[in-house]
Amino acid sequence: MKQFFMLLKKEQLENIRNYKIYWIPAIFILLGILEPTTNYFLPQIIESSGGLPEGAVLEIPTPTPEQMLAAIVEQFQTIGIAVLILAYMGTIAGERKSGTATLLYVRPLSFRAYFLSKWTMASVISLVSVWLGFLAGYYYTYLFFGEVELIKVLQMMGTYSVWVLFIMALLLVASAISPNSGFAAAIAFSTYLLIQLTDGLFGLNWTFSPGKIPQYGLEWLIGAPDSSGLWGAIGIAVLLILLLFAIGSWAAQRNKAKTKV
Amino acid sequence: MNIVEVENLTKRYGAESAVEDLSFVLEKGTATALIGPNGAGKTTSLSMLANLLSPTSGKITMEKDVSLGFLPQYPQFFPWLTAVEFTELAAKISGVETKQARLQSIQTLEFVGLESSLHKKIGSFSGGMKQRLGLAQAIVHRPNLLLLDEPISALDPTGRREIMNLLKSLQQDTTILYSTHILNDAEEMTDQLLFMKDGRLIEQGSLKEVKKKHANPYIQIKFRNHTSALEFVGSHTWKCEVEENLVLIPVSNSGPTMQQVLHILSTEKQDIIGVEFQDASLEEIFLKVVAAK
Repeated sequence: MKQFFMLLKKEQLENIRNYKIYWIPAIFILLGILEPTTNYFLPQIIESSGGLPEGAVLEIPTPTPEQMLAAIVEQFQTIGIAVLILAYMGTIAGERKSGTATLLYVRPLSFRAYFLSKWTMASVISLVSVWLGFLAGYYYTYLFFGEVELIKVLQMMGTYSVWVLFIMALLLVASAISPNSGFAAAIAFSTYLLIQLTDGLFGLNWTFSPGKIPQYGLEWLIGAPDSSGLWGAIGIAVLLILLLFAIGSWAAQRNKAKTKV
Repeated sequence: MNIVEVENLTKRYGAESAVEDLSFVLEKGTATALIGPNGAGKTTSLSMLANLLSPTSGKITMEKDVSLGFLPQYPQFFPWLTAVEFTELAAKISGVETKQARLQSIQTLEFVGLESSLHKKIGSFSGGMKQRLGLAQAIVHRPNLLLLDEPISALDPTGRREIMNLLKSLQQDTTILYSTHILNDAEEMTDQLLFMKDGRLIEQGSLKEVKKKHANPYIQIKFRNHTSALEFVGSHTWKCEVEENLVLIPVSNSGPTMQQVLHILSTEKQDIIGVEFQDASLEEIFLKVVAAK
């Protein structure tokens, strides 16, 4: 535990000094704001870019606030996740490749504390970014499209946070098992897509799929998700996160010989 | 008393052998120089001792309470940390208590000559400063076994001298194993020499033992000219060589001693400039051993 906190402090300093603590939330805030504002100002945007051909009529239905929040989540699920993967793909593989890990690995290092400290810091920044981004998006949605009950938004965000924690564990494991950052990103992206694809194919029968968590999150906005499906998916995600901790710590230790000396 | 015993250590990558059947011991409080050309297996051997690499076969036995310090050949640091933050982290992970870690970090950085750069970010350090910081992180937790991979090769002559002096001052309390190819420096600080080539240990022993076995010392007499040198050789039956105005007499059981040579030179009133005892340098011995194997 002692090593965990000292390594966490190192991670915190790293994230502050390489500005990740600033630019990742900034991107998510931008993503959150962009969706409601572009939708709201779409007629003006079309007008300023030359307008429609004469006689053409474009009917744009005004989205409901719930639809707008769902669109924000959609942005997070594509661009947001890509940003997180690119930001943290080198967390372990990069340290090994550059040789900066060598001076830690020659010490009596607890690889469990090492892996957990990295996952904790990456998760904290990711969650803060997602929450700030979503709250910014929620504010503009409220301004332009109307109100959604805050409690529903919080329930949605809480559910989505489990998904973010799961993705970060997956990404850190990819980094622990990969020879370099690019490979880690490739593994993380493909696994992410595979989860989505599997859920798309078998999701109807497999209600406990962790890939369903973002969907369950959105269902809070229009009522409440199927309770057993939600808790089943969250339970499985938590178990998978624990399993990923074990795999990540083991892989980081096993691959210590690959660090540049 | 042995702090480390290495027995038949082997590291292979597929069919390629990086280290083959390496055996040696490190006695407590001694300095051992691991000498060899590039690709000899020095870094691989040190990495196995530092527990970064697992051997393919063989055994490394360390004394129970060994605390290890390791300096890689090209130490890499987190550029966004300051020198004191990095050494403090290194000390803490090595088990030093938080308050003590800060104190020891500052003391160690002062010891290696980085007192004016304690709070500077490592990213702004020069190569020489990084090498000093590398040494600092290796000794900050007061290890009793220090493994150093080419600790001085990246430094200029002044830096090399300073680091060698630092290492010598550590030798009292620490067992040191260091690899090098700067043999003049190795000659200065070594109780044991390990010569490696192609992953194998080709010679080992103390400097005295290795020199006794491989060095061919000789007495060199410098005459004023070549004729005087030839006259001297013609008037004596010793086995010797003439090179321009120099006469070289190998030191051996059958040859004369330095005393005898000096006596003859003084009685014969030869036309000489000087007399010197010439011993082979470690570099000459190393080249000879490597060529022979």
